[in-house]
Amino acid sequence: MPCPMIPDATISSRRAPLLRLRSHPLRIALVGNPNVGKSVVFGRLTGRYATVSNYPGTTVTMTTGRALIGAEVCDVIDTPGMNTLEGALSEDERITKRLLATGGAELIVQVADARNLRRALMLTSQLADTRLPMILVLNMVDEADARGITIDTTGLSEHLGIPVIEAVAPDGRGIAELRDALTSATRVLGNRSASVSHVDWASSTAAKFRRMNVVSASRVREAINRAVREPLTGLPILALVLYATYLFVGVFGAQTLVGALEEGVFDGFINPAATIVAGYIPVPLIRDFLVGNYGLITMGLTYAMAIVLPVVTTFFLMFGFLEDSGYIPRLAIFSDRLFRSMGLNGKAVLPMVLGLGCDTMATMTTRILGTPKERLIAITLLALGVPCSAQLATIMGILGGISLWALVLLFGVVLSQMVVVGFLAARALPGDRSDFILELPPIRLPRMGNLATKTALRVRWYLGEAVPLFLVGTALLFVLDRIGALDLLTSATRPLVTGALGLPSESAGVFVMGFLRRDYGAAGLFKMAHDGSLTAVQSVIALTVMTLFVPCVANLLMIVRERGVRTGMAILAAVTVIAIGTGAVLNFALTMLRITF
Amino acid sequence: MQTPIPLAHMPPGARGRVSRITRDLTGRADRLAALGVTPGASITVLQTFPGIVFECDQTEIAVERAVARAILIDRA
Repeated sequence: MPCPMIPDATISSRRAPLLRLRSHPLRIALVGNPNVGKSVVFGRLTGRYATVSNYPGTTVTMTTGRALIGAEVCDVIDTPGMNTLEGALSEDERITKRLLATGGAELIVQVADARNLRRALMLTSQLADTRLPMILVLNMVDEADARGITIDTTGLSEHLGIPVIEAVAPDGRGIAELRDALTSATRVLGNRSASVSHVDWASSTAAKFRRMNVVSASRVREAINRAVREPLTGLPILALVLYATYLFVGVFGAQTLVGALEEGVFDGFINPAATIVAGYIPVPLIRDFLVGNYGLITMGLTYAMAIVLPVVTTFFLMFGFLEDSGYIPRLAIFSDRLFRSMGLNGKAVLPMVLGLGCDTMATMTTRILGTPKERLIAITLLALGVPCSAQLATIMGILGGISLWALVLLFGVVLSQMVVVGFLAARALPGDRSDFILELPPIRLPRMGNLATKTALRVRWYLGEAVPLFLVGTALLFVLDRIGALDLLTSATRPLVTGALGLPSESAGVFVMGFLRRDYGAAGLFKMAHDGSLTAVQSVIALTVMTLFVPCVANLLMIVRERGVRTGMAILAAVTVIAIGTGAVLNFALTMLRITF
Repeated sequence: MQTPIPLAHMPPGARGRVSRITRDLTGRADRLAALGVTPGASITVLQTFPGIVFECDQTEIAVERAVARAILIDRA
C-alpha cells in the first residue's frame, strides 16, 4: 500500500494526545452527492487511485484505502454518490446508506460541490441525524468562484459547529487542512429543529452563508454545452465523435499500430526467433505447445500483445477523454425515447456506453438504474449486443478494411436486435421503469494527468487480467486440439457453423475462444480474416454472431453475482439462440440477395 | 399572482420558481427534491426538445416530459 509510514515514535512524541486505543483503525467514510469529487479526495488522502470521471455513478462500490492522519492509520472508505438518505433510493445509494446505518464508519467527511451549497446542506442535514462526527469539504471552490459564488466558510463552520474546508481536490488544495481537521471532527450542532424540514433548513442556511453574484459560465463552455445538447447540432456532433473514434481506434490503433506490432515485431522478429530457439527443444509436444498452431507464443502472446493491446489502449484513451469531458450523459437526452420503448430510460445510456469499455464493469454500473426490471433489461442488452473495447476495435479493424457499409450493416443488425429484445422484454417482464431524471455534469476540458493515470491503470488491468486468460485459453485449445476434442467439436457443430452460418468449420474453435474472452475470440477472427480464410461476407456474419454471442466468462460470473444463477443461465440461453438465429438469417439474406462487400 | 404552469409548457429561456411538485406513487418528488428541485428553487429552462433540460441552482437536469408536467412553476 503506498501509504507513507512514518515511525510512530517521532509523531507520538509530538502529538501524543491524539493517539487513542482502538480495536480497529478509525473508519472514515467519504460521502456526498454524485460527481462532487469524492474519489479525488480519496486518492489525495490514501494515495490510491479510484477511477475518476466526470459523470454521476463512476463509483458504484465501496473502495477502502489506508491513510495516515496525525499519528493514526485510518481506513478511508470511498462511497457511491448519494442525493438522499430517505425516500426512493437506487441500489448504489443503498450501499452507502447501509454502511452508515450499520456502524461501518465512525466519522463522515461530506464532500460537496461548492456551487451547489443548498443541495449539499440537504444531505448534511440528513447525515447529521446519524449523530456521527462530521467534516464538510466544499470542493471545486475554483469553479464556484468562476461563477460568482462565494461562501462564508467561517460563518458556516461556526453555525454548524463542524469544520468546513474549502478545497480544489485535483490540485491538492485544502487536503492538508482536511487532514488536520480530521482529528477535531465533531457532531453537527447547529442542526435543524425537528419541526423544520431538511429542505427548508438547507435553503435558509445556504441563503445565510452564500453570496451569489451570478456570472454566467465561460462563453465557450456555454456554447459547447448548448451545441452538444441540442439535437440539430448534437446529432451531427455525435456522428463526428463516432467517426473520430473510428479513425483513432479503428484506423490508427487497429490498422497502423497492429500492423506495426504484428507484422513488424511479432511475425518479423519474436515469432521467428522463438521458433528457432524452440527448435532446440527435443520434445516436439513442448515445441508445438510454445510455437505451434495453438502455441503460447505464436498464438496467445501474439493475440494479446500485437492485436488487442494497441486497440485497447487507443480505445481507453479516447473513452477516458469522453468520460472526463462530461459528454456521455448528454447522450441520454437524445436516447431517452428509444430507451423508453425498451422499458428503460435515458439514464441507461451510461451503462450501455460504459459497456463499450468492458461489459463486466458495465454490468455493475447498472446499479445506478432505478428498478430491478430496468437492471435486468440493461444487463441482458449488455450481454447481448454491446461489444467490449477489444471486440469493438477488432470489428473495426476487420470490417474497416472491407468497407464502411459492412460496419454499418453489422451495427445496424446488432442495434435492431437489441431494440427488438428490449421491446419484448419491456412487455414480458413484470415491474416498471423509473422516471428519466438525470443530472448533467458540467462540460470540462479533461485533465491530462487523470486521463493518463486512468488509461495506464486500465491497460495494466487489461494486461493483468486478459493476458493470463489468453494464455490459459491457448493452452486449453492446444489440449483440446491434441486430444481430438477440437475436431469433434468442429464436426459436431459443422451443420450449424457451415450449414446455417456459412462459415468455414474451423471457426467453431474461435467461438469457443470467444466464450473465454470476447476479445480473444474476436482476435481469432481477426487472424482468420487476415489469412484470407474468411470472405468479406463471412467476416460480417462471424462478427455479428460473435458480437451477439454469449458474454465472456467474467461477464457471466458478474451477472450471476448481481442477479443470481437462474437469471444468468436464462440470459445465456436466450443470447445464444438469438445470436445463432440472427447469424443464420443474415447468411440467408446476404446469399439470397447476392450481396458482396 | 398567476396560477403556476407546468415546466413542460415553458419555452426555452423562461425562468421561474418551483411552486409545487405533483406527487405520485413512484417517489418522483423525492428524487427531484434530492437534486434540489423543491418548492421555492429558481429554475431556468434551457431546452425543450427532445427532452426537457433546465437549470436549478447550479445543477443542469434533464427530465422526460411526463416528469416536467408534474413540476409546477410560478413564472418570473
